[in-house]
Amino acid sequence: MKYRKHILAATIAVSALTLGACSSGSSDPTADPTSGTPAAGDYAGKTLKVLHYEGDESAMGKAWNLAIDMFEEQTGATVDLQTTSFEDLNASAEQLFDSSDAPDVSEYNKGNGTAGQLASIGVIQNLDDAYAKYGWADKLGAGIDTIAKYDDNGVMGSGSFYGVPNYGEFVFLYFNQDMFDEYGIEVPTDEAGLEAAMQAFVDNGVTPLTTSAQEYPMGQLWYQLALSQADRQWVNDYELYESPVNWQGPEVSYATETLDSWLDQGYISSDVSGMTAEDAGLQFINGEVPMFYSGSWWYGRMLSDVTTFEVGITNWPGTTLTPGSGGNIWVIPVESKEPELASLFIDITMSPEVQALLGESGGLPVAANTDDITDPNAQALIGLFNEVNERDGLSFYPDWPTPTFYGDLNGVMQGLVNGTYAPEQAQAELESYYEDYVSTVR
Amino acid sequence: MSTLTRTRRKQTSPFDAARIPQRGGGKLGYWLYFIPGAILVGVVIFYPIVRNLRLSFFHWRGGRAEESFAGLDNWSALFQDAEFLRSFLNIFLVIIAMVIVPTLMGLLIAAALFDVVGRRFGGKLSSLLRATYYLPQILPIAVAGVMFSWILKPNDDGVLNQLLSTITGNEVTVNWLGGQYSTAIVSTMVLMIWIQLGYPIVIFMAALQRVEPELYEAAELDGANWFHRFRAITLPMIRPEVFVVALTTTIAALKVFAPVFILTKGGPSKSTYVPSFYAYQEFVKGVDKGYAATIASAITIVVFIVAVIFIKAQTRAERKDA
Repeated sequence: MKYRKHILAATIAVSALTLGACSSGSSDPTADPTSGTPAAGDYAGKTLKVLHYEGDESAMGKAWNLAIDMFEEQTGATVDLQTTSFEDLNASAEQLFDSSDAPDVSEYNKGNGTAGQLASIGVIQNLDDAYAKYGWADKLGAGIDTIAKYDDNGVMGSGSFYGVPNYGEFVFLYFNQDMFDEYGIEVPTDEAGLEAAMQAFVDNGVTPLTTSAQEYPMGQLWYQLALSQADRQWVNDYELYESPVNWQGPEVSYATETLDSWLDQGYISSDVSGMTAEDAGLQFINGEVPMFYSGSWWYGRMLSDVTTFEVGITNWPGTTLTPGSGGNIWVIPVESKEPELASLFIDITMSPEVQALLGESGGLPVAANTDDITDPNAQALIGLFNEVNERDGLSFYPDWPTPTFYGDLNGVMQGLVNGTYAPEQAQAELESYYEDYVSTVR
Repeated sequence: MSTLTRTRRKQTSPFDAARIPQRGGGKLGYWLYFIPGAILVGVVIFYPIVRNLRLSFFHWRGGRAEESFAGLDNWSALFQDAEFLRSFLNIFLVIIAMVIVPTLMGLLIAAALFDVVGRRFGGKLSSLLRATYYLPQILPIAVAGVMFSWILKPNDDGVLNQLLSTITGNEVTVNWLGGQYSTAIVSTMVLMIWIQLGYPIVIFMAALQRVEPELYEAAELDGANWFHRFRAITLPMIRPEVFVVALTTTIAALKVFAPVFILTKGGPSKSTYVPSFYAYQEFVKGVDKGYAATIASAITIVVFIVAVIFIKAQTRAERKDA
């Protein structure tokens, strides 16, 4: 799952646009303890049940622990922190959020099939009033706030606010600098260069690019290849259903045919159909393959686990659009007993202190002051993310259009790898899965 | 027969009558013990089944969304759904892996452990071997799944691929779980057999304790070899257990979920879907919970029919013996 990444969760950076927006204005009521913030003790005796699925050592985990301390100090209430796994919550949130065991505020996965689905069935609360009260909309950049709004059908991008993202995330190319040096190959800056580099590795008997067709990585690679031929309108058609997608058109054909030819030429091993994202990541971490295309959620792990070579990061060569979005969002379940305290907590997670810690720890905060972040690795990641934002490149993820498209896409990718589907057949399969659902909401 | 029963009743002492209440007598005690169990079964089993069956006639997005009556829409869609039909065909292979192979192998191994190993090498060794076969049953399936996916890794990291490479002398890299339907389903079946085998062995060995050792000795004196003894003594004596094992494992096979979920996640390209896994996918990720309920109801109905057939067949066989 593309979601699995959030559990591995190590990561992320900052939008230049949103950073600019934040550093200039300080409308945040919690930023100034003298204005509008409740005095300590106002909520004494109350308990706020917070649920999330980030590791304690991840950027989000660290930042949110700080937010909890600040919240308890400011309100006098206590926080009952519960953690779970992404998979568990994904499978149970519909029931949990509508029960007496519901947390008061919870992290949840963004996108049409997940938060959109919960919004459309009335299991998470409308946050329009809280947005107006705390001014969160001003802090979120354009590519980021898309995932906070959902319409009646659960389609993101318009309608009411249902969630608040704290961080951003995107997908790029991790490379093994030592292997490039060893074979005298240049790190590619355009797509022709990328193919030349992969051919050079193949000539040396090295499989150049790893991915996984059992889980999200190959679907994201496929999407990136389509995006490299697409414009913003195509993304809006694909993700927001503005007009029908041509599944035999140049964008999709380019993606499927390119993957097919890369498989033929040995740039990608056919083993990937039996590999998980973790398997692919480990191949890269163990120095067996020089390139891995995946998300910022791997970044912290790469920094800590790779010890035998130098990890490089670069945006996918020759593209304007890139898979990525705001990260997971805070939502308030319909059965939350303390919705007011919950919004206050969310507001604290958006405060400059918490956001700075998130960035400093390797995440991509949405509302931090860049000057606060000094760690060179964090800066490198933020720099890459800024590049994407400067060209308005964030294009969401390939599996968002329908609730079941994640499994559908992986299945088709496996078929493409195994030769069960020729590229046109793969496209026709994807179209039927996509239209099956999208035709009912378009 | 009826005379006999009447005579017996007359002879029953007051003490026995208190211990085993007659039908019709002591009504209060009967209901006192019956009601809690009935409530529990009703709430935990019958209510969900009825609710689920009802839901299969509705479209429902879940949560607080409105249900809309669908009539037979979901059911007619089910029989035209290629993914569902394919998932049901896989059940036949699952039955081979969870019922037929373990029961047959279980019979042979139990008989061999009891009759050969037990008698020649002592009960301790046969108990140890029995425990060894049973071990996969107590191992959490998540652990077994992780172990199997590690053995079956697609590249030269995979233990099985490494083993085959060593044996053949060539580099073997079979993509067991992701490559072809055939290797993926066979791998899953092997996991199922491995897990399932211990169950019939333990049941059959317990049943064999009932068999008089003299029978075997007499048969042996008459010149019966191991296979003769197995067919003429072992098999008829433990037939009730064979029925029970076949019934329970068939029901488990129809509901199978975890091995598929853990090993292949239904892949490659959804070819190893089984009905429960499909129902789960539709319920957790799908937009129409009514359709998921239809799949689940279909499984329940099939399980019910199979159970009735088994029990009828067993009763008939027992009657024939009597």
